[in-house]
Order: sequence, then structure tokens, then C-alpha cells
Amino acid sequence: MTEENQQTKNWHDKYYKILLIIPAILIIFSFIYMVNFYNQHGDFIKKDISLTGGTSVTLYEKLDVLELKQGLQDKLQDVNVREVYDLITKEQKAVIVETISGADETRNVLENYLKHELSDENSSFEFTGSSLSKGFYKQLLIAILIAFLAMGIVIFLIFRIFMPSLAVILSAFADILMTLVTVNLLGIEVSTAGIVAFLMLIGYSVDTDILLTSRVLKREGDSLNKKIFDSFKTGMTMTLTALLSVLVALFIVRSFSSVLTQIFTILSIGLVFDIFNTWITNVSIIKWYIKSKHG
Amino acid sequence: MAKLTFRIWILIIVLILSLISIFGLPPSFLEKGILITGVEQNSSAFEQGLRQGQIITAIDGKSIETMDDFSKIIQEKYPSGSEVKTILNLKNSEIIYFSKNVPEITFSNIPKTNLKAGLDISGGARALIQAQDKKLSTEEINDLVAITNNRFNVYGISDIKVSPVSDLSGNQFMLIEIAGATPKDLKQLIEQQGKFEAKIGNETVFIGGERDIASVCRNDATCAAITACNDANGGSICNFQFSIYLSDVAAEKHAEITKKLGINESNSGYLSQPLDLYVDDKLVDTLLISKDLQGRVTTQISISGSGVGETEEEAYSISKENMNKLQTILITGSLPYKLEIVKLDTISPILGKQFIKIILLAGLGALLAVAVVIFVRYRKFKESMALLLTSFSEIIIILGIASMIDWNLDLLSIAGILATVGTGIDQQIIILDESKQRVNLSVKEKLKRAFTIILSAYFTALVSLLPLLWAGAGLLKGFAITTIIGITVGILITRPAFTDIIKNIEE
Repeated sequence: MTEENQQTKNWHDKYYKILLIIPAILIIFSFIYMVNFYNQHGDFIKKDISLTGGTSVTLYEKLDVLELKQGLQDKLQDVNVREVYDLITKEQKAVIVETISGADETRNVLENYLKHELSDENSSFEFTGSSLSKGFYKQLLIAILIAFLAMGIVIFLIFRIFMPSLAVILSAFADILMTLVTVNLLGIEVSTAGIVAFLMLIGYSVDTDILLTSRVLKREGDSLNKKIFDSFKTGMTMTLTALLSVLVALFIVRSFSSVLTQIFTILSIGLVFDIFNTWITNVSIIKWYIKSKHG
Repeated sequence: MAKLTFRIWILIIVLILSLISIFGLPPSFLEKGILITGVEQNSSAFEQGLRQGQIITAIDGKSIETMDDFSKIIQEKYPSGSEVKTILNLKNSEIIYFSKNVPEITFSNIPKTNLKAGLDISGGARALIQAQDKKLSTEEINDLVAITNNRFNVYGISDIKVSPVSDLSGNQFMLIEIAGATPKDLKQLIEQQGKFEAKIGNETVFIGGERDIASVCRNDATCAAITACNDANGGSICNFQFSIYLSDVAAEKHAEITKKLGINESNSGYLSQPLDLYVDDKLVDTLLISKDLQGRVTTQISISGSGVGETEEEAYSISKENMNKLQTILITGSLPYKLEIVKLDTISPILGKQFIKIILLAGLGALLAVAVVIFVRYRKFKESMALLLTSFSEIIIILGIASMIDWNLDLLSIAGILATVGTGIDQQIIILDESKQRVNLSVKEKLKRAFTIILSAYFTALVSLLPLLWAGAGLLKGFAITTIIGITVGILITRPAFTDIIKNIEE
């Protein structure tokens, strides 16, 4: 072992409990923020029209986004207009109009405004009824809840020791909570796909926690610090490859698909928090647990 | 010298099978011609043997390579209005097509692979239907699916998938998916209850469906045709007329009701009350009944209607469409409840190709990013290459299974593949790192430990995906299925093989 390693480890031995204050503060802040957010908006997220119900129209022509928005504002409810462009040439490919109005109404307003007919040669329509989307949302929340519970049970079954299992579950929970807060802070309107991304995060975030916990609990021979440091090396490679590949994919699809853009955005945020929660939250708890057990 | 173990052999075999499943044998990108994607039922094309899925390789001896070739030749041959003979060469046989009309088929280029992109990528329409104010039982939803399927077929749209779906709260839906271009009037066609009633005064004489209507004349110019077009209100109006044949029960009812009627005062050739035709409670036409028919059991009745348009051409085609719609509901009958479209997506196919390009680019970019991290971290060519190639083969196996089970890859499925490959790489990193531990264990023991960690991760991921199979009326099933296939392939095939490859390299 090199001297430098020795020193970092000594530093960590001294301060790992104090380090736990950082996630604790963040988790408390997140809770307060979410309670506040819920009181203000009546929900955990800002939902986009795939979850509130409404119509999304993609027009495959070149239009001035601001002008279009102004032209539609008083004719459609809650209009939002954005553009789709080619990544390399930056050329505008299409315009997306989102509104909570129905599909037929939206079609009429747009046809009147644009003064030409809309067919499937020049436009795409996506309409979701409001009762259906409410049902969707409720079920997705249930799905996430079931997924999280099932994940928790599997973790307990694998490790069969209370504290380390709880640490894994707590880190995964903190990961999702902090991602949720960040998504809300950024003002992202979450779609069905976004909720799926949160579900994917459950799987991604426990991976490194499982690695850490199995190495610390099940491997014999090495010192605790070495086990943690080895897991850190492996785990960081894992998370960094995942993060970097998601970021590259995000950069490429960003201008093109809102579905994939949202999934990749939420995954990237989640992966960053995963680094934090695995290597500070989970490491500190499991180190504390091992040290207290061995006196 | 590397030895090919049993597990590596499995990977190689599955990989080859996947490639065959994706590209076909012989590979379909080498084939020439066009693929028939739909044939109108009861049309002359259908009667003469053209079927969905056939590949036309040549017309009258001229080989065709693209859709344009085909359209050009066909359009040159069929403006005449007289019967024309065409020899269509299929892959293994030939069909002699003899008709006045262009073959009633839809077609596309032969797809280069067996992979199918989802509607949200390649374009198409998707509708989710529910009964209004009524909870349908499984049986009722199955009936609805059958009736709707029949209606689309009769109407002439065959490239369609109708299936019942349910969600976590036990709601039943009907899911309709149409690939490619969206048919006109789709919404009306789905939503319309299709209740046809012919009434005299307040009494119903007959309704749509096989109980009252024995047969309906279609595609036969002698008993179903556009009869006349006239100028009207600055536009044009075209009338259509077709015969229907009533069942005995309905014919007797008709006789009984007409018996009671008097003679029309202003027009003595007809009876005092007309036959009113209603579709979904809306009056669509009123037919005067000839007085010769009074009290007689007639089975043949002539139904008429019209279509209005700005030009005569437009009026003609609208009239034809209206006739087709009326014929369709007369044949298929009505649904016992009203329907509501709760979700309707019509995605234009025009950006489809570009979309696929972007997705491939994103996949390639992600893989390159992974490669960079892996090479920087391990600085060993063999191991890094083994890792990347194994991950790449995992993608191919997932795609192979997808094309084998005819799975439509939508955007969420693609996100699912990315997630799988991501976790796959993560697990290979665990295997690689475990094998490098400087502990006094055999390589085999070390890898066994890696596998325990990986199995744990597998089961947590698996259970977290299961609820998605049902949530959201099955619209997220694509993601769940692809991811489950992916991680299962990983745990059963690619991870064991990778373990053996690493064992080879380490020893």
C-alpha cells in the first residue's frame, strides 16, 4: 500500500461519520422542498400533457416559434411551442405545439392559423384523454412503489442483515429523491417516459450499492478500507461508463426526440447522485456498521 | 491458446441465430421486388390470389426493384377502363391478374431486416378505445375486437393490429395499431357505433348486421355504383346506389309494415311514407317506396346516398367513400354501446428514416464513450475488446429475439436496450475487476464471487420491471419486455461467456 493511500484512508477513518451530515442535510432539504412543492402544485412533479391529457402536434415545416405561440395563445388552452432541429446543420425540422385542448379543436385552430390542411404528410398528432392520463399517472406511481418495495425485499433476501440492507435501500431512495428535486428545480415537465426513467434509476442505483455491500460483507482477508477502495474503483468505472454513454446519447438525440431526451436527462442526473449516495451515504453507514460490530 | 468452452460456443451459436433472425436466410437485403402489405378483402386482387406478405419481383417480365417501378408500370396499364391482363411474378410462382382496376393492394419496399420500428419512430396510427359509461367484460372486449377487425377488413384496411389490453386497475381497452400512413376517417371509423336502422315512420324495418341483411352488393358495377353527378350550390354532388338482400325475417317485416300504408298524395307512384335510413341516429337518406312493393315480400332493396365536394372529382370520391362506409356498417352491424377514443396518436412517417439514423448514431456514440472509459481504465487491449464485443453481441441478440417474436421497437424499447447494455457493461466491469483481485483464490473462485453480485443485481432489476408489464394500458410493455429480455440474455448467455473469455485471457 502506498503512503498516499494510507493517508487518504486515515482521513476517511476520521471523518466518515461527519461526512454523513452532508447527505442528511440534503435529504432533509429535499423533504422540505418536496412538501413545499406538493403544497404548491398538488403533486410531486410538473406533469406534461402525456400525464395531464391534451394534444401534442408536430408540424413538419419551418415556422417562427414565438410568432406561432402568440398567434395561438388565446385560441388554445395552455399552449407551448418548441422546435426540433437537426443536430449538425441546426436547420429547423419541425415545430411541436402542445396544448391541453382536444385533438379536433387543436387541428381546427392550427388549420385556420396556417391556412392549409393538416394530413399525416405534414404533421403528427398525439392526443391523450384526461381521464386516461390520470389513470396512467396513478398506475405509474403504483408501479414505481411496487418496484421499489420489490427491490427492497430482494436486497433483504440477498444480504439477510438489517443495517447494510437498509443502507442500500436508503441510498437508492436518496438517489431518487434528490433526482426528483433536481428535476423540479430545473422546471422539467415530466412525461410518461420520464417516470419510466425514474424506474430505471432504481435498477441503476442499486447496482453499485450491491457491489459495495457484497464486497464488504462477504469477502475475507482484506482490510475494510481496502475492500471499500477496491469497490470504489470498480463502482466508479461502472457509473462513469454509464454516465458518459448516457450523456453522449443525450447530446445526439437532444434536438430530435423529447421522449429519449427526457429519459437520458433524468438518468444522467440520477447517476451523478448515485456517485454521491453510494460513496458517501452508503459507504459511511456500512463502515460505521462494521466498525461498531468489531468494537 | 484460447479454448472455446461450452459457454462461449453457446454465445457464438445464439449470435449466429440472432443474425439469421434479423436478416433472414438468405439475407433479405439481397432480395429485389416489392412486398404486399395489404390486400382488400373480396377484391379482384384477393380473388385472384394476391395475399399479404407476398413479394412481387416482376410485372409482365419486367423486373421491379423499387415501389416507384411498380407504381409506374401499373399506372400506365390501367387508365383504360377495359379489362387488362397482367402477369405478376412472385418469388416462387406467378399470378395472372385480370381486371379493369388497379390491383387493390398496398405495398412497400422489401424491408432490409426483420426488425420493426415502433409507430412512434416509423409513423402510423395508434388508438386506445374504451366503452363510454360502461365497464366491459373480457368477453365483451373480445367481441369488440372481432367486430372492429371485421369492420377494418370490410372497409379495406388490412395492415392493422387490433388487440385487447387491460391495465393495473382492471380497465379494459381496445388497442388499434396501423403501421405507415394513417387512413383517412380513421377516427370516425373507429368511433362510430355503426348503428344502421331503416325505418318507416317510427317502426324499424331492418338494421345492419347479418340477422337482417343476407348480403350486400359491393365491388360489382352492376349492382353497386355511382349513378350520377350534378352541379349543386357551386359545388358538385354525386349519388351512389347499391343493392342489399334482406333476410326472410326482415323481408316479411317490410311487407307487413308497407301493407298498412296509403298512397302518396303528391306523387301517386309511391307509398305515403318513405323508408328513412339512419346511421347512429342521424338521418342519412330518405327513400320513396314504389307502390308496387306494397305488402310484398321483397328481399332485394336498393340503398342510395350521395357525396358532396367542391369539384366533381372530389364529389365522386367522397360519394364512393360514403358508399363504402355504409356498406361496411350494413355488413358488420352495430356495436351494443358507444365508444370513446381515449388516446389517438397519428405519427407522420416522413421523419422515420432520419429518426432511425439518429438512434443508430446515439447508440454508436454511447458505445464509443464506453470504449474510451474502458481503455483508459484497463489499458489492456484484449480485455477491453472482449468487453466491448460481448456488449455488442448482446445488442445483436436482443434485436434477434425482437425480430423473432415480431416485436415492434418503439422509443421506450430503445431506451430499454440502452439500459440493458449499460447494466451489462457494468456487470462485465465487476467480472473483470473480481478476476484481478490479488486474493489467494483461483480465477474460478473469483469469478464465482462476481456472479453472486451479478445475480443479485439481476433479480432487483427484474422485480422492479414487472409492474410495468401492466401499468399504463400496456403502452410501456415495450420497455419492460425488451429490458427483461436483455438482462435475461445477459445473465444466461453473455455474462457466462464473458467469464470464460476472461478466464482464458487471465490463465
